[in-house]
Amino acid sequence: MITQEKYRTTVKELLASDSVKMVIGYKPGSTPDRRRPLFIRSSDDADQLVLDSTCITNLSGYLVAEGLLSDEKRVGIFLRPEGIRSINILAAEYQLNMDQIVIFGFDSTGREVRPLEGRHSKDFSALLSDIKENSPQISKEPLLESIERMNEQERFDFWQEEFSRCIKCYACRQACPMCYCRRCIVDSNQPQWVNTSSHTLGNFEWNVVRAFHLSGRCVQCGNCDRACPVNIPLRLINQRMAEMVLEGFDHFAGLSPTQEPVLASFKKDDTETFIL
Amino acid sequence: MAKIGVFICHCGENIAAKVDCTKLAAAMGEHPGVAVSVEYKYFCSDPGQESVKKAIRDNNLTGIVIAACSPRMHEATFRKACAEAGLNPYLCEIANIREQCSWVHTDSDMATEKAMDITRSMIEKVKRNNKLQPIEVPVTRRALVIGGGIAGLQAALDIANAGQEVVLVEREPSLGGHMAQLSETFPTLDCSQCIMTPRMVETAQHPNIRLLTYAEVESVDGYIGNFKVRIRMKSRYVDTHKCTGCGDCMTKCPVKKISSEFDCGLGKRTAIYTPFAQSVPNIPIIDTASCIYFKNGKCKMCQKSCQINAIDFEMQDEFIDLEIGAIVVATGFQIQNTAMYGEYGYGKFPDVITGLQFERLATASGPTAGKILRPSDGKEPENVVFIQCAGSRDPSKGVRYCSKICCMYTAKHAMLYAHKAHGGKTNIFYMDIRAAGKGYDEFTRRAIEEDEASYIRGRVSKVWQENGKLMVRGVDTLLGRPVTVAADMVVLATAMVPQPNAKEFAKIIGIAYDEYGFYNEAHLKLRPVESSTAGVFLAGACQSPKDIPDSVAQASASASKVLALFSKEKLEREPVIAINNEATCAGCWGCVLACPYNAIEKKDICDRSGRLIKQVAYVNPGLCQGCGTCVTFCRSNSLDLAGFTEKQIFAEVMGL
Amino acid sequence: MSEQQFEPNIIAFVCTYCTYAGADLAGTSRLKYAPNVRIVRLPCTGRISPMFILKALQKGADGVLVSGCHPGDCHFTHGNYHARRRWMVFRSLLEFTGISPERVKYSWISAAEGSKFADLINSVTEDIRKLGPFDQYQQMIKDAQSPATL
Repeated sequence: MITQEKYRTTVKELLASDSVKMVIGYKPGSTPDRRRPLFIRSSDDADQLVLDSTCITNLSGYLVAEGLLSDEKRVGIFLRPEGIRSINILAAEYQLNMDQIVIFGFDSTGREVRPLEGRHSKDFSALLSDIKENSPQISKEPLLESIERMNEQERFDFWQEEFSRCIKCYACRQACPMCYCRRCIVDSNQPQWVNTSSHTLGNFEWNVVRAFHLSGRCVQCGNCDRACPVNIPLRLINQRMAEMVLEGFDHFAGLSPTQEPVLASFKKDDTETFIL
Repeated sequence: MAKIGVFICHCGENIAAKVDCTKLAAAMGEHPGVAVSVEYKYFCSDPGQESVKKAIRDNNLTGIVIAACSPRMHEATFRKACAEAGLNPYLCEIANIREQCSWVHTDSDMATEKAMDITRSMIEKVKRNNKLQPIEVPVTRRALVIGGGIAGLQAALDIANAGQEVVLVEREPSLGGHMAQLSETFPTLDCSQCIMTPRMVETAQHPNIRLLTYAEVESVDGYIGNFKVRIRMKSRYVDTHKCTGCGDCMTKCPVKKISSEFDCGLGKRTAIYTPFAQSVPNIPIIDTASCIYFKNGKCKMCQKSCQINAIDFEMQDEFIDLEIGAIVVATGFQIQNTAMYGEYGYGKFPDVITGLQFERLATASGPTAGKILRPSDGKEPENVVFIQCAGSRDPSKGVRYCSKICCMYTAKHAMLYAHKAHGGKTNIFYMDIRAAGKGYDEFTRRAIEEDEASYIRGRVSKVWQENGKLMVRGVDTLLGRPVTVAADMVVLATAMVPQPNAKEFAKIIGIAYDEYGFYNEAHLKLRPVESSTAGVFLAGACQSPKDIPDSVAQASASASKVLALFSKEKLEREPVIAINNEATCAGCWGCVLACPYNAIEKKDICDRSGRLIKQVAYVNPGLCQGCGTCVTFCRSNSLDLAGFTEKQIFAEVMGL
Repeated sequence: MSEQQFEPNIIAFVCTYCTYAGADLAGTSRLKYAPNVRIVRLPCTGRISPMFILKALQKGADGVLVSGCHPGDCHFTHGNYHARRRWMVFRSLLEFTGISPERVKYSWISAAEGSKFADLINSVTEDIRKLGPFDQYQQMIKDAQSPATL
């Protein structure tokens, strides 16, 4: 509560001094444990601001809305550490200019919300480095562990079962801050690389291609997973790929706004063991 | 509607013996979109080609597939036939049913089946081929040579003598590079100055060469045939148009004890100076860090002494913008900082010197007028120890490679010393004697047999001073025991390393470099003088350690590449290049980073009022080499590769 | 027995400068190898998209082979380094979703390695033959009824 009040005051001050033209935060949603985005343009709007442990949606995708940053004015945004990583990637991929972004960082343990020091992406670099260093020690979700223990057939069947529910609504894509393409590959039909019907083949292709496009870019904010209306555990694939790029290339997505995209760069000594 | 012609070649018996060509022709004739499907003994023969041309004309074919040998054999032949028949040559595809089918399989049925798949796949591809035109790029016939050492001079002279314009840029005040510092050169022992100075003068006086000394390349934009280069002319504080090179200013300059860079610290120079007596141009510069006027605002002795008023203390750097068609990079090398070798005592003991310093001692124009004298007391040493591979082939010091010239120049040093100091004794510690080259092994043998150089195979662990002698402790690995030699002078054959700013400079020009900073050739064996960037060529030691003959040879090779480029008004290139769909491009610039050729630029898309709407990738057709790496990276599928488009490959797979 | 032997369909994506030339060399050397592989020629491994592999599987391939120049030998200097990263990522993605890495093979074959090419085709064919038809994927395709083709 204290964090929320402090931030309300800060937001009002920044708006009053014209330091930011808008702040993107959270407001109450349809149920007590759901939040929806709030676009604060005035002091009155700021009074609706809510900040508690249920504010989990990664809001960074709103920053790349057409035209929002084109006037070069600054925009504030409430972000958890993974959200800060997201905007680092968006900056590294030239989707936004970091100088225009004012960060209101926060994190939570249990129901406790605490603010993160800093307003600019670079203020969080030490924090992100720590998260990177600690990430291999974090215990894996039991479901991910059990998938990794499965044999290929079981894994195939598991994902076939999960993907079979996919209705190709693309909510995962809409919710993902990284899916900013003007035209998604799935909408490209000359040629039709990805089968669009929601049969098992099309579902498999879509989810595999999306995971490939997110490899080295996903920060595991969970937006896609929460958006999926049929509860496909999309986070697990992306989590596995994040582990892969960390192990294989020491790449921790969104560590800095100048990080090179993992699939557009290489090292001559990238090591593999499977190439004959 | 597609009207595809399929031409199945028997290649005598080469294909027909294994693949049932009649069956293949019949099956392909049934395939949708195929208007003609015929077989023939040799389609590459004149009558064969004529029949293809006739079929194209008679049937108004929209594309052809030649099922025959590898495209690496006859693709060009059949493309030409297409063009002659009025069909765009890029509407021709080759189905490789010889090298990759009839020749490698034993079972006739399976080979026939495979040939059908291969041919069908190419039919589906060719249906989606686009008419392509070779890319034409205009060429500015003016070469830029960067570096005025022997490699740069050779390249500049070769190009200029062939009648083309050259701009030669040298960052030092004089031409000459390292070669001007050398005494005699191996394996002929001819005097370096005697062969170098005339080349320098010839270059300076050549009507086709514009010489820019004390100048640096500031930026390079553009692409092959069309570079835009900005040169910074550093201020000399001496008007180059007025100065006659009389040298009065240098005589009058009161600051006389500055360590001379050209003499590797063994000689002295003034604050206004030319690097050496034979400098080209023979125009001094003021070293502002040492000049009293620049430090205290007083003195101006040089200005007072100059009778033609050529000295201008207010001079500023100037910029020159040039349009350039091709660039030869000949930026040379440096020697490794010997301070890395504390155990050899360089810097601590004045009589431990580098090979380059020995050159300055041995040369007649050097600080000792050609006498080998110890820096410490000016006495002639009676015993000299040479240490080879001082830096080279030593991973712990970061240089894993062989510097290539040290074995030869150490042998030369031993000979020069023997000739100049009669009765002097030389010991050479070495790892291997690498004397591959014309007259090279004979040369090192001469050092051993005639000039009594004593070679000790092993490394030196330590050099220390004792009773006025330098004690050199090493190991003789052939005898398997440690040795200690008392010497009056120790000469280190220091490693050749890239220029300290080599990597930054590579980024300015846009060429690739290796882990050390030597510039990468486009292909180590087949394109050894081309850099990774089209229109930029390499000469001399900036690519790898080289001796003079190799540097000169590479410089001439680069010059011939430049001249080939300048032999036409326009360049024609295969149109296999990437193209971008600007409507769907998300502007993430992953392609810019992934492109090995810096061929992708950011392009502004503006509305009618000039307001920037978005930035998209633009593939420069002059630079793109058509690898397709960007296409695969592109998540939104906006990039595509002409000749190997997404549609074509999809169809090829689906046609199998 | 040998008449009932399963003949796998294998689709290969290769670069034109190294592996395609190596395959040609196998031909000019008249080496003999299994006829199960169909080659799609690309300018560079950098051009080989993971989509190609998925489409080869959709086309009914029991196995896929991807091959190009050895590291350091790429005609386009870096294409194969980029390709290698993509393969590492894509391979582990397929593995995680239950596609056996044994079905999709990768190799470096230079223009001089005609015999390596022939040996590789034989060993890959044999490996895929042992795995048997890729029924799981074929079932997906059947379920799909009419996946997008040409």
